[in-house]
Amino acid sequence: MVLLLVAAIAIWCVWIDYKIRRDFSALQWALPARLYARPVELYAGAHLSAADLTDTLQRLGYREANQVNEPGEYNASSSRVRLWTRGFSFWDGDEPSVYVDVDFLGRRVNSLRGNEATGELALARLEPVEIAQINPDTGEDRLPLALSDVPEHLVNAVIAVEDQRFYSHVGVDPIGIARAFVTNIRAGSIVQGGSTLTQQLIKNLYLTEEQTLRRKIEEALMALALELHFSKDEILGAYMNEIFLGQDGNRAIHGFALAAEHYFGRPLDELELDELALLAGLPRGASFYHPRRNPERATDRRNVVLAQMMNQGFITQQQMEQAQAQELSVSARPTQRGSGYPAFMDLVRNDLSRDYDADALQTEGLRIFTTLDLRVQNTMEAALGDAVAAVEVPDGPDRPAGDPLEAAMVITDASTGDIRAVAGSRRPGYTGFNRALRAVRPIGSLVKPAVVLTALESGDFTLASILSDAPVTIALDNGDSWSPRNYDNQMYGDVYLYDSLQRSLNLATVDMGMKVGVADVVETLRELGLESNPPPFPSVLLGSVNMSPLNVAQMYQTLASNGFRSPLRAVEAVTTGTGERLARYGIETQQVADPADMFLLEWAMQGVFERGTARNMINRLDNNLPLAGKTGTTNDLRDSWFAGYGSDLVGVVWLGHDDNRETGLTGSSGALRVWTDIMGRLDIQPRQSFAPSDIVFQRVAEQPVRSGNGLDCSTAVMLPFRAGQLPDPATRCDNTDTLLDTLIDRVRNLNP
Amino acid sequence: MMTRISVLLLLSLLSACASYSGASRPGAPVSTSEPASVRDAAEPVAPVQEAARSFPVQVPPQRVDIPAQPETAPPPPEPVPETPRERAAPAGTPASTLLASVDQAIADGDLERAAAVSERALRISPRDGYLWYRLASIRYQQQRYGEAEGFARRALSFAGNDGDLSREINNLLGQISQR
Repeated sequence: MVLLLVAAIAIWCVWIDYKIRRDFSALQWALPARLYARPVELYAGAHLSAADLTDTLQRLGYREANQVNEPGEYNASSSRVRLWTRGFSFWDGDEPSVYVDVDFLGRRVNSLRGNEATGELALARLEPVEIAQINPDTGEDRLPLALSDVPEHLVNAVIAVEDQRFYSHVGVDPIGIARAFVTNIRAGSIVQGGSTLTQQLIKNLYLTEEQTLRRKIEEALMALALELHFSKDEILGAYMNEIFLGQDGNRAIHGFALAAEHYFGRPLDELELDELALLAGLPRGASFYHPRRNPERATDRRNVVLAQMMNQGFITQQQMEQAQAQELSVSARPTQRGSGYPAFMDLVRNDLSRDYDADALQTEGLRIFTTLDLRVQNTMEAALGDAVAAVEVPDGPDRPAGDPLEAAMVITDASTGDIRAVAGSRRPGYTGFNRALRAVRPIGSLVKPAVVLTALESGDFTLASILSDAPVTIALDNGDSWSPRNYDNQMYGDVYLYDSLQRSLNLATVDMGMKVGVADVVETLRELGLESNPPPFPSVLLGSVNMSPLNVAQMYQTLASNGFRSPLRAVEAVTTGTGERLARYGIETQQVADPADMFLLEWAMQGVFERGTARNMINRLDNNLPLAGKTGTTNDLRDSWFAGYGSDLVGVVWLGHDDNRETGLTGSSGALRVWTDIMGRLDIQPRQSFAPSDIVFQRVAEQPVRSGNGLDCSTAVMLPFRAGQLPDPATRCDNTDTLLDTLIDRVRNLNP
Repeated sequence: MMTRISVLLLLSLLSACASYSGASRPGAPVSTSEPASVRDAAEPVAPVQEAARSFPVQVPPQRVDIPAQPETAPPPPEPVPETPRERAAPAGTPASTLLASVDQAIADGDLERAAAVSERALRISPRDGYLWYRLASIRYQQQRYGEAEGFARRALSFAGNDGDLSREINNLLGQISQR
């Protein structure tokens, strides 16, 4: 009988020993993927104000200090910010930790200075702000750290308060239990625990709250087995990363490195003795001693930890007293994560799902470097709701109530196609239907630049080609007929091509489009970035093509970069948690249109602001013009669009209802105003366009006439033409170009 | 007391058990992450070094696997089109600082890092034809001719009156068209 019992216990012990060796040597924490915004670059001329920089530094948990003496500190005034960056391991190399003195002039960086150590400094890059993470199913989050990187004070504090005899016991510590008992009796409360660090680690690893005798014996056995097979440092290192130290929503904070970020917004190695002691007090009860919720208890606990440290000779009495006198310095809130940027995250997940499965994203601790520009995104989020409310037409007798007016906005880099900001709703942080990606709507007049480009590329049209803005009925293949009308139901007769675009005249556009062929227009749209392949019905010419705001941004991106299409991207690189590059998604660019044709198109599109459908915004964009853009309105005012660009940014705004009822808004009265509000705040930069060498300027009579009779050159406009493709003599006002004129024309800036 | 005795008993038993194990002691369990496993990979958990896979080109535009060690057989580099140093931005500017990093990356044989740093420079000076040209020649060296051509044409559109730069870009375009 006894033998049988001993045999059973022996088997149990073998099993536990096996289990501990198997589990602990294969210990791999599931680590969430972390997503980073584009890091802020500091250089003379950078588009950044002192307030923008200060905001970023606060997001990064920098501490304001009178003297900037170490990494993670800054000092800011209205036009000057001094800081010491922490350095970061980027996929394209290590960014060193440097001291930078930044001088601002308005919304730009004026100059950069280093100190004696850095010398001359042309460029510095901050650490990227973490914008989100993709959490494991367990909800556990941690920032694993090697024991050698854990500050010594913290190790000492933990040992002092949790397990003084850690280095001498064998996993369980009867003496320690006795000592703790006595200490606690003396103190009148529980200041020391009886279970060893090893036992606590076991408890955390196997997540059990069960308090049965069998469970306790098993834990003790496991602790013994652990000590038999692994070194003290391995056990302590695992403890430092494993221990539960707080809860942040559905995210569990494990390990001291993440706790430092969570409670102080700063990395562990920047914390002072008092702060480390506070953290060391948390394993006893992360909720009970929570420094934000229970600051007094947390302070008392910290002071107990400090006292224990002194009693055991880890710190001097003076150190203890100084640290005990410190105020709690926890950050007011967990490191801010903004709205969570759900629409952008949606885009990132979409992109990443092609290369990474959900499990890899949730468990492998990947670092994902995105193109999100926090200055742009946060400015947009702060303004979008009010901007939409300002144009919203109240429901009235003729407009039945229903879903509220909704919005989507996409802002990209005009040069590279990097997606800098996305909103999928007028409400920032809204996690439902992402309209930027999924509201696929007719684009209305946003299509017209593609019709004009097709006409210019055909060689049969110039900006001064005369179109007929007159009623037309087109017989369709299916036997029906189509009779388009202008938005205002007026007709304008003979109009110049450029004018038809600026005033968005439907009949003139149909006249031109039918001549060049609808199939060619569809082809141009696809070159510009249209993802679908619509059948070439004549109604395509007026925008019965469905696109998402994101796809429209792709199309206008190609226009903004003068006919070079660069696929939009939200993710730039992926690395492992230790910074090893796994993948990089580089810029690509492909020329899809001739520079001269693009120049002519752009000239016309700048006129949309100067004198076309966007001219009502001219006063609000005083400092930003010239800009190029186009309004779009669909049948019965169901969709209000504006897409426009400067030299730095492309912005697309869509307004509409999810139930597709009327908005009461045109592109001009709705989306354009929202666009102007936000792009104005972002200080969108004027277009800079230089005429290719085969462009010449000619004066053309303001009123188009089809024959030389009635040519009126008293009011003329200067238009660009492709050399050798001059306007019809019937409209031309100067036939005798001198060489000088031609030269002047060639270097003329596009700005009319 | 009972607990204490059984613990001590079991401790001795465990010591006996331990002798058979012979398990080699693993490294410290504080490790961070494994290389990402990539969907559709041939082997379920292949080290990154061996991951020379190609992916359909979609948005995101380029899925490029980068060998962690540059020495794992990069394609034989193309002859480098000459890149005149005097055209590089004046010293002490962001562009010149980054161009020095580009040169360093090329010297290290890490062309993808060179491309990444060029892109970083382009974010600061998007209309600099020389930077677009550098990116084109890096892609050419990587034998990514389609991309090289796109960048070269973009470079040409910004070359303006710079005849030397235009000539070099046209040379590169000529070399690309022979591929």
